[in-house]
Amino acid sequence: MEKKYRVHLLICAGTSCVSSGSLDVRDALVEEINKRELQDEVYVATTGCNGFCAAGPLMIAYPEGVFYQKLTTKDVPYFVEEYLVKGRIAEKFLFESPEGEQLVPAIKDIGFFSRQVLVALRNRGLIDPDSIDEYIARDGYMGTAKALLEMTPEQIVEEMKASGLRGRGGAGFPTGLKWQFCAGSEGSPKYMLCNADEGDPGAFMDRSILESDPHAVLEGMIIGGKAIGSHHGFIYVRAEYPLAIQRLQTAIGQAKDYGLLGEDILGSGFDMDIELYFGAGAFVCGEETALMRSIEGKRGMPRPRPPFPAHKGLWDRPSVLNNVESLANVPQIIYRGAEWFSSLGTEKSTGTKVFALSGRVRNIGLIEVPMGTPLRSIIYDIGGGIPDNKRFKAVQLGGPSGGCIPESLLETPVDYENIAKTGAIVGSGGMVVMDETTCMVDLAKFFLGFTAEESCGKCTPCREGTQQLLNILERITQGDGRPDDIERLETLSKVIQSASLCGLGQTAPNPVLSTLRYFRHEYEAHIFDKHCPTGTCKRLSAPPCQSTCPTGQDVSTYTALIAQGEFRKAWDIIRMENPLPMCLGRICPHPCETQCTRGDVDKPISICALKRFAADKNRECLKDIEPAKALFPEDKVAVIGAGPAGLTVAHDLTLKGYPVTVFEELPVAGGMLHVGIPEYRLPRDVLNDEINAIKRLGVEIRLGVRVGRDISIDEMKASGYKAFFFGIGAHKGLKLRIPGEDEFEGFIDATKFLRNVNLGEKKAPGKKVCVIGAGNSAIDAARTSLRLGAEEVHIVYRRQREQMPANPAEVDAAEEEGIQIDLLTSPIRILGENGKVVGMECLFNELGKPDASGRRRPVPVEGSEFIIETDVIIPAISQSPDLSFLNDDLQFNISRWNSFEVDERTLATNVPGFFSGGDAVTGPATVVEAIGAGHRAAVSIDCYLRDRPYGGYWHPKPHLTLPRLEATEEDEKLVRPEMNELPAADRVDNFDEVELGIDEKAACLEARRCLRCDL
Amino acid sequence: MAKLRVEDLKRIKEAAKGTVNLRAGEYRVKITVHLGTCGIAAGARKIMNFLLEKIQKTGAADIILTSSGCAGLCNHEPMMTVEVKDSAPVKYVLLDEEKATKIFDEHVMNGHPVSKYALSVGSETTY
Repeated sequence: MEKKYRVHLLICAGTSCVSSGSLDVRDALVEEINKRELQDEVYVATTGCNGFCAAGPLMIAYPEGVFYQKLTTKDVPYFVEEYLVKGRIAEKFLFESPEGEQLVPAIKDIGFFSRQVLVALRNRGLIDPDSIDEYIARDGYMGTAKALLEMTPEQIVEEMKASGLRGRGGAGFPTGLKWQFCAGSEGSPKYMLCNADEGDPGAFMDRSILESDPHAVLEGMIIGGKAIGSHHGFIYVRAEYPLAIQRLQTAIGQAKDYGLLGEDILGSGFDMDIELYFGAGAFVCGEETALMRSIEGKRGMPRPRPPFPAHKGLWDRPSVLNNVESLANVPQIIYRGAEWFSSLGTEKSTGTKVFALSGRVRNIGLIEVPMGTPLRSIIYDIGGGIPDNKRFKAVQLGGPSGGCIPESLLETPVDYENIAKTGAIVGSGGMVVMDETTCMVDLAKFFLGFTAEESCGKCTPCREGTQQLLNILERITQGDGRPDDIERLETLSKVIQSASLCGLGQTAPNPVLSTLRYFRHEYEAHIFDKHCPTGTCKRLSAPPCQSTCPTGQDVSTYTALIAQGEFRKAWDIIRMENPLPMCLGRICPHPCETQCTRGDVDKPISICALKRFAADKNRECLKDIEPAKALFPEDKVAVIGAGPAGLTVAHDLTLKGYPVTVFEELPVAGGMLHVGIPEYRLPRDVLNDEINAIKRLGVEIRLGVRVGRDISIDEMKASGYKAFFFGIGAHKGLKLRIPGEDEFEGFIDATKFLRNVNLGEKKAPGKKVCVIGAGNSAIDAARTSLRLGAEEVHIVYRRQREQMPANPAEVDAAEEEGIQIDLLTSPIRILGENGKVVGMECLFNELGKPDASGRRRPVPVEGSEFIIETDVIIPAISQSPDLSFLNDDLQFNISRWNSFEVDERTLATNVPGFFSGGDAVTGPATVVEAIGAGHRAAVSIDCYLRDRPYGGYWHPKPHLTLPRLEATEEDEKLVRPEMNELPAADRVDNFDEVELGIDEKAACLEARRCLRCDL
Repeated sequence: MAKLRVEDLKRIKEAAKGTVNLRAGEYRVKITVHLGTCGIAAGARKIMNFLLEKIQKTGAADIILTSSGCAGLCNHEPMMTVEVKDSAPVKYVLLDEEKATKIFDEHVMNGHPVSKYALSVGSETTY
């Protein structure tokens, strides 16, 4: 059984406390406790550093957790008497935090510091690097003293082997083993070399160690010298590190003055000299054989191994080359023992590793963590996560020789073996964090650009191969990628890896291979879709407004043209992606404006209003549209449904030269634009003008024809239709699934209600109307009821106002008109009398935990039932496609939401020749999305009819490059214009258009606010 | 100078404790400006000279101003650490002359840390 103690005394045995005498205090305590015969009640132990080194020696007494500071051996009897015998807290030694300091977080509460364990960086920020005395005060040269005076070379090698230290330069070769090979090698003199030719982009740990603790590296070299029998050392440091060089020079001078370098060091009889050699910054000189050639005064190029440098190195003499960080670990390993070091880290990767954390992470800097720390902990706990609300994408480890690790592998422990499994390498410790805005093809191109530049040229596969890889990546990012480029990259990479002499060439293709491994789809998007998903590659990306728009509307160009007063040209540009600009200029929820860069400055550009202005201004031009040229009269296309998706398909395919017929069940064309959206938002003459323009191209629209009833698909095929597009929308209202539904007069679904009104049935539904739901169609139904003469209109919604999915401007307008919104209310039963609705029973809700949509789920409050009296109830909760026209001849795949299942890219259904898009696929969505789907389907149908493989959808780019207008002083004062509106009093009893657009002057000024992201 | 023996190392160690570890020395306050490449690039040298001037002006003999390497948080440079004898060191980040003045007047001269410019209190854990 474990022994129980009354009191535990934990004495800090961190370096700082030990040097201020904590171990003496411990011994005195133990002695005093034994003297008082308290040894069975009090347990004394030592711990690692507590952090408050200034107040040491420190002790924490449990169970109370009292924190004692600045103990001395003299104080021990008093302490034991007061605390252990009399049981009083010895106040004399209590730690008191000075006034005001409580407000500053303790270092242990800051993730950046608390997760780090400093070995190689133990003196960072603590000592003056130009003071050898301060280094000595922190146990400096104690390792040297021990190695030179108490250990044989064999013992040093054994200690290093036992510590498990592996080369921190990147390859991870065991340091002790390297020393053993050289120690056993014949030849004289031998050389002890330090590799300070740090060259990976994003790595700066060697520089920082040399700058803040140069003596640690010198000491490591002296100890290594003794182990291998070398008396001459070289530090190969790049000339771009002036501060590191200066501090090294000072350190070498001081060590010589103290006799810690030179002859007979510390009276041990061992001699050692260290010289600096300045490299010119060639990346290949980080490779050991090239580095040695460079010191010899020759051109830095690698040579084949064997012979290994341990036998034939610098000037063909036995040599050892260690990295700066490896050497900085050595003095502490020797001074404190291999076991101390190997207790850190994992079994095969002992100790700690320094990483240079940079890129898209909050805390950029140098960190040291035990091997085996998960990547996530490094990036989120220490690095503080990704700034600016962006998403993590990948982290590049090992610089240009390494690879990227994606989000799915963030739990990977950082050690040599586990990182190698991901295809990356620990490398020298550069860790570049990337967020969702980084293009992985561009990243691979960056690193290849680096290695192609740095290849020494000795091996042809490396010299020419990296350049070829770079050329291929360059053309992919320029939009000239070829279908077999990915395969070519992979083949070439393998050749370079296997046929290069040194690490530079062998690892150069890694960034390509690892980005291909985890982000192949990005390469494919560049090559096949000619689209850079992150918008990084300029030739393959559009400004944010254009990328966001489902139709790819060329916003920046038309805005620039409006600013120049070129309204007709602006209209031409708009119509290239948009067959219904007057409609969209009125009713589009404009996701482009949310992404507008100007919104980061003040308010986004009023893109929608500008479109409306340009479209309205050129309305007369619609009459001049001429029929399109027929190129493929045999390949007839049938479009079922004359909504925005169908009309777009018809428009696009007619322009491509196909004869298109649109079949529409309703007596009017336009789909939801006509029978869903009320006239006060979209006047019918505007809609009809645009539909007539599409007809003028040559599209035939047959109204009042229901496919499956009036004409069968077989009949259509027989009369020559070769491809079919289902753009049937979602016109069937969903059920509330509560008792009383559909039983009484006065209960009418919103879709049906709006359709009836829009087809001419303009009479008040009743005196009091309750609309259930909070989407745009709920608002439309409520505002329409009001205009038809209802005296009181309510919108009943189960959540809070902020969660209403309708366009906020529409909700505001509804309230302005006097519509009441009843929140947190759910109907549970429809009440009727004599066959007519008289009210509904409802429950109040509370908001509970968030559901799948991220919105808090409404939870009914028990016993809160109440009754709303009303004579009309209009449910508007959602809609689904009405697929009742299909017969069993064609077996389409149908989703569980009762919509068509299609291939995401081609919009093809499972039946060849049949395509679908818009609400019929997505369920109720926006008009602009339906038009986007129409464009996509038209491309796909064209490929199908011409028997071409679907080559990918060409994501639109700006059509023109227009010069930036010279900014004037007035431009700085411009603000987003207010939309002109009909006053509420003038609009509630009629269907006149509410929003009146902006005038020419306002439009021209507004267009000047565009920041022109396209340039 | 004469070559060191192990005893000399221990002697230097004791003597130098005064500057590394305040309580062993005769200074009341130690200001460490972090002069790594990152710190210098962000203007730490200017802060260092500015503080030197301030100390000279006050004529205080119990303040030690010293430099050190990078403290690890490169994007928070210039940084400095102020340690008043018998209390934990406080790290200040993103310094300019205005902040340095306030820290000097309130913390160095009067012992009240300026919490709004401070990052943390305490020293890092070394293993």
